[in-house]
Amino acid sequence: MADTIATDIPADLAQVAQEKGIPLDVVRRGLALGFPPDVVKTQLNMPGVTAEAAEQFISEQERIRAGGEITIPPELAELAHAKGWPDDLLIRALKLGAPVAMMINQINAGITPEQAAGFIATQEALRGGEGGALQLDLSWMKVPTEWGVRVRAGKHGLTVGGINVGTYADIPDYWPYQTEMPRGAYPIPGVPSMGYSIFEKAELWSDNSADLYEEAIQRRWAPSTDIPWDTLEDLPSDVEKAFCQLSTALCEKALVVGDVIGRWLPEMSYGYHEVKLYLSTAEFDCARQFEVFRKRAFSNGGGMAVQSPGYLHRAIIDCRFWTEASSVMFILHNSFIMGLYEIGLATAHNRAEYRIFSLCQQDISRQLAYGVDHLKYFLSRHIERRQEVNHFLNKAEAVFSYEWTKDTPLREALMILLGGGTEPSQMATGAARLEYFWGRWVNAYADRLKSATLGDRREKLHPSLRKYAELPAAAAA
Amino acid sequence: MTQEATTAKATFPSVDWFNAVKEIVNNDPNFRRIGTCDAEMGVKIPDLGKYYKITFEAFEVGDIAEVDEAVAEDTDFWLEMPYARWKEMIQNIKDNARADLHHTLNTIDLEDPEGFARSNDGYRRDAFYRFNQTFQYFFDITYMIETTFV
Repeated sequence: MADTIATDIPADLAQVAQEKGIPLDVVRRGLALGFPPDVVKTQLNMPGVTAEAAEQFISEQERIRAGGEITIPPELAELAHAKGWPDDLLIRALKLGAPVAMMINQINAGITPEQAAGFIATQEALRGGEGGALQLDLSWMKVPTEWGVRVRAGKHGLTVGGINVGTYADIPDYWPYQTEMPRGAYPIPGVPSMGYSIFEKAELWSDNSADLYEEAIQRRWAPSTDIPWDTLEDLPSDVEKAFCQLSTALCEKALVVGDVIGRWLPEMSYGYHEVKLYLSTAEFDCARQFEVFRKRAFSNGGGMAVQSPGYLHRAIIDCRFWTEASSVMFILHNSFIMGLYEIGLATAHNRAEYRIFSLCQQDISRQLAYGVDHLKYFLSRHIERRQEVNHFLNKAEAVFSYEWTKDTPLREALMILLGGGTEPSQMATGAARLEYFWGRWVNAYADRLKSATLGDRREKLHPSLRKYAELPAAAAA
Repeated sequence: MTQEATTAKATFPSVDWFNAVKEIVNNDPNFRRIGTCDAEMGVKIPDLGKYYKITFEAFEVGDIAEVDEAVAEDTDFWLEMPYARWKEMIQNIKDNARADLHHTLNTIDLEDPEGFARSNDGYRRDAFYRFNQTFQYFFDITYMIETTFV
């Protein structure tokens, strides 16, 4: 018993033993048998545990470990046989030190022999070492990944881009794994495919994704508290209705973009987590856009207005290729959204409205930045697909233009906001100013596509947009 | 805008004036709280022939320099308008302790057919939108400076 005596007893366990009147020597003998301190403590805390019962239990365990025969108490045997528990399972449980009363309780509670067998096998594996000590595998500690990485925080803090060091900075052109394994981890065989469909870097990558993710997290805001809602003031009825029409349209567009991002995220393989991280924040930005414009509509005497025709929404949702979806949604659609925000800023009646639109500008411009940078990366790897990009933009611009002709509520609402009311002179002013803002966003759209290395698309724009573009020849004149 | 007292005197436009702004915002926790910003902003006052380059890096304003016109334009975007309009904007900020809704960077940009924020690149110009709260805060804080005009 020398080893037993040498075993240390944790202070909290010793305290429980003393409170229950259990000799510390019995506790030491239990620990020496390999029972974890927490298990011993739990057992001691059970009702009815006495020094005699503890001594009897430990003595029986020591006898069993010494090679003594294990006997099944009659009351346990009778119940177990009635419930279909085989003797060998009972013996294995008793050998592990399971108290008879607990086993009776478990059997009465409906635990099946199969369930018990699984649990007992796990416990046996854990105590499989000599003397009942825990036997760990630990081969996973020899994982052949790069180790010893110790990245320091820089001016921006410890960023997602900043921890791309050593082999972890290797972002392959093709991701060969179909599972959710993080980039840089060590693959194991047999893990089921997760059903991703985008494995080529060129089909989703943008160099700015990691920075955009950090930016989105850093520059987050809360519509509930960051908008000075108390600066809202009553507006003329027709102006309030126009504002609510604009708010309704922006709520709808936010939901569509959020849905589309959510539909594509599960297609993107784990090798390009920077993109997945950024897009998850973009999805949150969409939720915030929906939230803030719904709150605005419900906070100044108005409500929800008329839904949009939805032709462009359907065109975005129907894209079969992420680069197409990204370009149409983040560059074309969001250039238009940015135009709507500019109209909102130009017609803001108070600090609340101004702040709403200026904060939304920040969020949507990150989506624009991803869209442009991704298209640029895609074209750098697939120059042969430039014509295809122009083709899907032709299609999307045509649908957009058709939608605009059908979206009378939004068109008229914008004119009312820009003109200040529904009087003929106000509508005339509004119509003229709408043309001005239309020109701003169309040219910004063309400039973004040029930055994406698609070339100057002004002459290729759909005719309904081209008339607003500053064509190179006209600009020179 | 937590600081109340005028903390510096400087003449606009000058490197000293921009450095005075930098000194205030880099010691202002509210500026840091807006979030990280990485952008190069040019400032052009063509009728004075004055051009500046201001670098925003992480949570701070970095280098400020008087430069030639080409360098001012080799930025993400530059802010350009005649001196009288710069003066009007800065005076408006001084009078209101921040820009009123007709004198924000955004509204000035929207009212100018040529644009107040200009760039040679559509992607880089979007930095004006991406970090608009930072840039507006930078100019709004100038109400704390006792500005003299040339």
